[in-house]
Amino acid sequence: MDWGKLRFFLGEVTRNFTRNAAMQLTAIGTVTVTIALLGSFLAVRTTLAGVGASILNKIEIAVFLDDKTTGDAAQVLRRRIAADPHVLSVAYVSKAQGLHEMRDRLKGQMDTTLLTSNPLPDALRVRVVHPDDVTKVAATIAKYPGVANVSYAAQVVTRALRLADVLAKIALAIVGVLVLVAAIIISNTIRLTVFARRREIAIMQLVGATNAYIRGPFICEGLLDGVLGAGIAIGLLALARRELVPKLIVAVPFLPLHAATPNGGMMALQLLGVGAAVGVVASWISVGRYLRT
Amino acid sequence: MISLRGVSLVYPNGTRALDGVDLDVAKGSFVFLVGHSGTGKSSLLRLLYREQVPSQGQVTVDGIRVDRLRRSRVPHLRRNLGVVFQDYKLLAEKTVWENVAFALQVTGAKTRDVMRQVPRVLDLVGLSHKSRMFPTELSGGEQQRTAIARALVNNPKLLLCDEPTGNLDPSNTSEIMELLLRINLKGTTVVVATHNQAVVDRMRRRVVRLDDGRIVADEERGFYFLERGAGGLGQTSLLSG
Repeated sequence: MDWGKLRFFLGEVTRNFTRNAAMQLTAIGTVTVTIALLGSFLAVRTTLAGVGASILNKIEIAVFLDDKTTGDAAQVLRRRIAADPHVLSVAYVSKAQGLHEMRDRLKGQMDTTLLTSNPLPDALRVRVVHPDDVTKVAATIAKYPGVANVSYAAQVVTRALRLADVLAKIALAIVGVLVLVAAIIISNTIRLTVFARRREIAIMQLVGATNAYIRGPFICEGLLDGVLGAGIAIGLLALARRELVPKLIVAVPFLPLHAATPNGGMMALQLLGVGAAVGVVASWISVGRYLRT
Repeated sequence: MISLRGVSLVYPNGTRALDGVDLDVAKGSFVFLVGHSGTGKSSLLRLLYREQVPSQGQVTVDGIRVDRLRRSRVPHLRRNLGVVFQDYKLLAEKTVWENVAFALQVTGAKTRDVMRQVPRVLDLVGLSHKSRMFPTELSGGEQQRTAIARALVNNPKLLLCDEPTGNLDPSNTSEIMELLLRINLKGTTVVVATHNQAVVDRMRRRVVRLDDGRIVADEERGFYFLERGAGGLGQTSLLSG
């Protein structure tokens, strides 16, 4: 290893980097904001997807039978539904049992003693193997004779998930624009450095430095902008996660949040990669354009 | 060392800088390029270090067809020749030593070679004692000597000088010319484009005269101006020079 060469190269990079501190800070700040937003969006999206999936797994299809269906007919229907490979389990809930359960559930919230007769029909509770099959299975069951009505919360959940998906796409588009903005700012920063060093570049070309060599310090400058910005963003995200997630878990106990928090280390690496790539590509473009002319 | 065959150079704005130039320069020789401003001296030099590509004709430097050289090979051509300009082109924030070392460092030379070559050329140009000074602390002649040291640090076979004494007073000028002569005596081919009549007349070397992009005279042991009676061109030069 030739330490003199390394020291010369690092000296060039340091001089580039410190030449225009204000511009450098702008570039780093933009990367920080971009990566922090990208990180939060990704975290929220994985969390939502995880929460949604775990709720969907617990979803039941309530099959309400019409009044004419006798207990025996209900048992036939139960076996018929259970024969479907998509179905995990089927339970029979009689009118009386249903009322009993409802009284339990609404205890303290509503005065159920006011009910003079039982308004509930007999019902079957169906669980499916895959949450994705809920809609299909429910549609099949609805056509069976003796079935009055089919209802499942999955509709609400899938709709919510679809909405979350759309929101995530919009968010990603915004992040995409931000990445572009960060790239443009880095590219302008590098172009300023290139402009400030045009004499040196001219001399380098004159004495026979290769374009690859001339590019080196500028690419490093862009890389530094990207990596530093991403590093700060990752630090902020880690802090937010440590401070916010425990509070969220307490605040919304019905959502299984802890089951769905993304892998922090992996994500940090990916974000660092995005930052580095933005920096390198942006600086490559601005030096390349200068060297070609 | 240098061979130009039917070389023409037309700039994008339509200016014809060179027009059918044929020129041969032997290895180890010393050649002056003379002629007034805008006659193509600098353009001719630029073709040799591949800053320009001829519109027509062949340019060969040390056996390399420079006109057909791929872009990626240009750095290797330039490592084998040195170029010196009127304005020195030194880096103000680097010392003499660093300016000279720069040429080696940016071409990926080993630190060991930098440590060996830089003192050698600084000694050759007589600036060893000023190696830690910055260009602004030097006289014009010393700055030009630094630039020459930088051009020589790669041990080139060819040294191209574009008006090397254009900004210098007579005593600094003769200092630089003596230095170029010494470099030439060590075997380096030297081509000097100049306006300086005194220098050319004193040195009595080969003189190639350009006028309007053409070579109009080429004399061994020549003078800046053609001798009286040698042709009409000399007369016009006297008036405009």
